[in-house]
Amino acid sequence: MEDIKEKVQEIFREVFDDETIILQESMTSEDISGWDSLTHFQMIMEIELEFNIKFTTKEIANLATVGELIAMIENHLMNNKEE
Amino acid sequence: MELQEIESIISKISLEDYRSILRYAKKFEKLNIQTEYGIRIAVIGSGSIQYFVQVLRMMLYREGVHADIYEGNYNGIEMDILNKKSNLYLFEPQLIIILSDYRDIKNLPDFFEPQESVEKYLEYYLEYYFNLWNTIKKRLPACDILQTNFVIPIERALGNLEANYNFSSQYIYKKMNIIFSEKHPPYVTIIDLEYLSSLIGKINWFDNSLYILSKVPFALQYIGYIVDLFIKLITAWLGKIKKCLVLDLDNTLWGGIVSEEGSLKVNIDPNDAEGEAYWLFQKYLKTLKKRGVLLAVCSKNDLNIAKGPFIENKNMILRLNDFAAFYANWDNKADNINKIAKELNVGLDSLVFFDDNPAEREIIKMVVPEVKVIDVPKDPADYVRALELSKSFEWFQLTKEDCHRAETYEKNKERMELERISIDYSEYLQALQMHATILEVSHDIVKRFTQLINKSNQFNLRSRRYLEPYIENILSEKEYKLLAVKLSDKFSDYGIVSCVILKKIDKKCMIDTWVMSCRVLKRSLEFLTFKYIYEYACQWGCESIYGEYIPTLKNNIVKDLYNELGFEFEDDSEMRTTNDSQVYCYQIGKVPQNKIYIQED
Repeated sequence: MEDIKEKVQEIFREVFDDETIILQESMTSEDISGWDSLTHFQMIMEIELEFNIKFTTKEIANLATVGELIAMIENHLMNNKEE
Repeated sequence: MELQEIESIISKISLEDYRSILRYAKKFEKLNIQTEYGIRIAVIGSGSIQYFVQVLRMMLYREGVHADIYEGNYNGIEMDILNKKSNLYLFEPQLIIILSDYRDIKNLPDFFEPQESVEKYLEYYLEYYFNLWNTIKKRLPACDILQTNFVIPIERALGNLEANYNFSSQYIYKKMNIIFSEKHPPYVTIIDLEYLSSLIGKINWFDNSLYILSKVPFALQYIGYIVDLFIKLITAWLGKIKKCLVLDLDNTLWGGIVSEEGSLKVNIDPNDAEGEAYWLFQKYLKTLKKRGVLLAVCSKNDLNIAKGPFIENKNMILRLNDFAAFYANWDNKADNINKIAKELNVGLDSLVFFDDNPAEREIIKMVVPEVKVIDVPKDPADYVRALELSKSFEWFQLTKEDCHRAETYEKNKERMELERISIDYSEYLQALQMHATILEVSHDIVKRFTQLINKSNQFNLRSRRYLEPYIENILSEKEYKLLAVKLSDKFSDYGIVSCVILKKIDKKCMIDTWVMSCRVLKRSLEFLTFKYIYEYACQWGCESIYGEYIPTLKNNIVKDLYNELGFEFEDDSEMRTTNDSQVYCYQIGKVPQNKIYIQED
């Protein structure tokens, strides 16, 4: 769990170009200046590549907070293991 | 990050590295570049164009162009163009990029709409785009337009039938693209995104999820390639084009080393696997030359030896007069390249270097970095593609001076007239102007002779396979006659296309082996070959010729050959070598009758 959060934080720092970002579950794009509609998709792409998962359109559209993102990742990783 | 650091990284990013491209485009956007703007470009489009603009800005900078870019609104084509007071016009761009999308074609014919009605849709949209372009032209008379054509989607409600009915959506998109090519005004350059999407593969190009979420009409993985196409055209528009292709000789234009093998033995034989690859490469180079690309030779060789194949080898497609400069000596290639640039009066940055030797390529990259060096693949079969995909010669317009258009046009007309479906096949054969030569096999053609015997499956009477040593042996034996037939016609020289092995047994002439290349079937060559067989059988003093047809899964086409030639079927013949074969006999004295359309040399 911590592992996931750390990796996501690393990706956020890279994609949103801000080494000072410290992730909190309640964070949304409003809280991070580099997180806009463009970088949002880059972040999603990097996450999918890093964890070898693929989000659905609905999941990406409904995504609001960092906490939800991490939960989604965990979910997909568990599903991957089951297959 | 510092500007210099970013600049250094940007200069090395490869087009496929979309992650770095997107990342650094964002970083680049934040930088405060102090240099003056070199060009004003407007980008407008139907979908989301933000990524495109970001990456365009960075990649232009990579080419040394600092662009001031106007970014239109989402779905803002009409908004910006038709509103005479729009910011687009205030910006006064020198170039406008219009990123259109197939989804812009909103009115599609109903199923079963008649042709005249379908035409109206096309007229409507042509008028629509002309209106856009004309409006721009009126407000900005000096502005050029880069207009994308339509990337045709994968979906086809009619499936394959879409290619069979002209009320289909596929037909409309394809026809619009053709109309763009035919009817665009000179200040509009059509950008062939449809071609790029095919190259990348439509399966890869479309990302439905991304489109739904962000209205970006292509998968971000290919942003590098897409923007690169525009970079090439914009830099061409600015006058930075490549004008000259500098070529090595050995293992680049032909297989082998001319100083070791001689002019005639270097491999440029279109009937040989390795040779054909080089032959096709030369063919491609010839078409580049015809459209105005200068060709130059830069080779480590004695000058006269290097020139040899161009003069003496009849398979060469390129000749000495195809080259604007010819440097063959023992100096280092970097010096030679400098001399070539000087002689042709072009900048070093307008040269492209193609050499199979990685060491030579490295040196040029290091010593003359302005020259574009092609990463030449190991297999010559891939040379054409490597050169093509390098997109080195994207120009904004063709220069008429070097285009031998008239010549090509004449030749094509001839060939097309010849290939029209002839009701009279014999007229067609006659018009081919075929010539053949028969050879008694000698050592230097044993290789090709054996090859043809072993790989022919269709026109092959007995499917006997032999190895070279065996063939070498029987060459000198009195009871064997090995014959090879060469064929050429008006358009091509096919080389050796038929092989025969005759064996004399008392007064009988046995056709031990008879094969023919499937490239030259049904041209009456079999009749000519039999005429030769008959002559040799006579010379031997034979009284009869025997042929055996051994059926296989593949040689059905020669099932009735001997019948056709006038042989008699010999039932239950003692000459049979297998249980299911058929033996035929031909009496000497009966002159071969079949019509031959080939002239003997």
